[in-house]
Amino acid sequence: MDRWFLIISTLFAAIAAIQGMLSIHYGKRSRWTVSWMVGAFCAQAGFLALRGEARAMCPLADLGEILAFLAWSLTLFYLLIGPAYRLSLLGVFTAPVVIIFQGAALIPGVLDADPVRLSGGNPWHETHSATSVLAYGAFALASVAGVMFLVLDKQLKEQDLKSGLFRYLPPIRELLISLERLLWLGTVLLSIGIIAGFVMPHSDSAIGHLIAAVAVWCAYITLTIVKKVRGLTGRRLSLFTVILFLLSLGVFAFV
Amino acid sequence: MELICLGLNHKTAPVEVRERFAVGTARLGESTLELVKTLDVAEGLILSTCNRTEFYLVAPEAKPALEKLEAHLANKSNAPDDIIPHFYRIEKNEAARHLCRVVSGLDSMMLGETEIFGQVKQAYQAALEAGTTKGVLNKVFQRAFSVGKKVRTETAIQTGSTSVGNVAVDLAEKIFGHLKNSQVMIIGAGDMSRTTAQSLVSRGAHSIIVSNRSYDRAVHLADEMNGKAVRFDEWQDVLNDVDIVISSTGAPHTIVHKADVEKARRARKYRPLFFIDIAVPRDIDPTVADIEEVYLYDIDTLEQLANQAREQRQKQIDDCLLIIDGELNKMNLPGT
Repeated sequence: MDRWFLIISTLFAAIAAIQGMLSIHYGKRSRWTVSWMVGAFCAQAGFLALRGEARAMCPLADLGEILAFLAWSLTLFYLLIGPAYRLSLLGVFTAPVVIIFQGAALIPGVLDADPVRLSGGNPWHETHSATSVLAYGAFALASVAGVMFLVLDKQLKEQDLKSGLFRYLPPIRELLISLERLLWLGTVLLSIGIIAGFVMPHSDSAIGHLIAAVAVWCAYITLTIVKKVRGLTGRRLSLFTVILFLLSLGVFAFV
Repeated sequence: MELICLGLNHKTAPVEVRERFAVGTARLGESTLELVKTLDVAEGLILSTCNRTEFYLVAPEAKPALEKLEAHLANKSNAPDDIIPHFYRIEKNEAARHLCRVVSGLDSMMLGETEIFGQVKQAYQAALEAGTTKGVLNKVFQRAFSVGKKVRTETAIQTGSTSVGNVAVDLAEKIFGHLKNSQVMIIGAGDMSRTTAQSLVSRGAHSIIVSNRSYDRAVHLADEMNGKAVRFDEWQDVLNDVDIVISSTGAPHTIVHKADVEKARRARKYRPLFFIDIAVPRDIDPTVADIEEVYLYDIDTLEQLANQAREQRQKQIDDCLLIIDGELNKMNLPGT
């Protein structure tokens, strides 16, 4: 049953992506993306609720759950930021990332078919897992904004301004402001996650994961501070954000 | 009852003819009432903008009403006979169709412009308040407004900017979003700079800095724009703070070099910088565009973008006319 929720959510995201891309192709504004993404979010919440009930704790016990939680976190931040700041097309760029995460979670074997009830959960452990994955959601959305910036920057530089994509992409400055705010939000959440990670009881096997998490944290804190203090061109900030996010996904290899 | 329209516009009459028949917005209602009474027609409306003056009348028969109107206008404006040929005369269904074209911006000097929609609404409101519209004109004008809206939403007739100034403003908005937080520097106080800066101000830019070889001219333009003047040898210092630079000097060589911008990058914290070079010969060294956060557009590119938008709008005309015909055929309008 829980798997069906994830499939439905992925379908909603796919509709959002396809319908959004078709709208861009025909030079029209995509009006339904937010609605489809709300549908995807509700189905994700249904999946996580069922898994949480089965696990009797925050459902972050296998890679499939982590990917689904990450997709939920990404969608949550999109729904909080996209419509509020009127960042058009953010949903169209977010939906494919949600599909990738959830598609990976749905690969046979990634998600425990029969989730085991876990006892003796530690609140610090749950805080570490939940805030870290939420931070990754913020970093994922920052990367999405970074990709949008790179596309728009290329079009403006090459003076290729005819496409529907150019017409509906949000302004450069708004993309950079959103990207920077998401980086700060993600860094704060990751900091809480890291602190909780050190406080929680952990086995020797978790050391590798914690070191990788600290390395990721250091990289993000460096990026945000350099941007704040010295400044960075939009292109470099976007590239670093996207590359760092892709590299930081490696942390899950240690889960 | 039959609907008629007699008018002149930028295509049929030069400005010295158009201005003789222009009616001020404040006098629209009063003039319409006077016209309806004088001609003894059932309904009437005067539409007067800088590019056109049109008289819409409803009378039992079109031809005699048109003749009376022509005689009245010739008499009132002391117009010699050679002025009358500047007028076009349209009747019944064609008059309704013409009105829809006007409301949709298809008959405007700048194809697809939106201002005309408001101007026709204003004229209709004035006539309505003067009591000179009844069954026929009310239905025809309301139908024209709904057709105009449909044309604008279902076609790309108003897409893109068709003037260099507006193209520059659109690009500035694509880079900075709302321009209220954007600082603009004008190098060279010529007419082109003034026009482009005015377009930026009209969309919210409020902080204008003017630099010119003649400091007096810089002060004059800065006062006009509520901005600040800086001496010509100080513009590099201002570069640290501004977001948009419009350059239009008469200099025979480049004014803004890559090194000038490179020097300001650190202090600007690598924020985006938009250069609009509308000078010929160009004021800004093209290699400035190699700097990552710099977007440089020269006059040729801006003209080219404006032309593309105009061509794009031209291509929409047939679609717009199809919508107009389809909508007018759907209902049997009175007077047509």
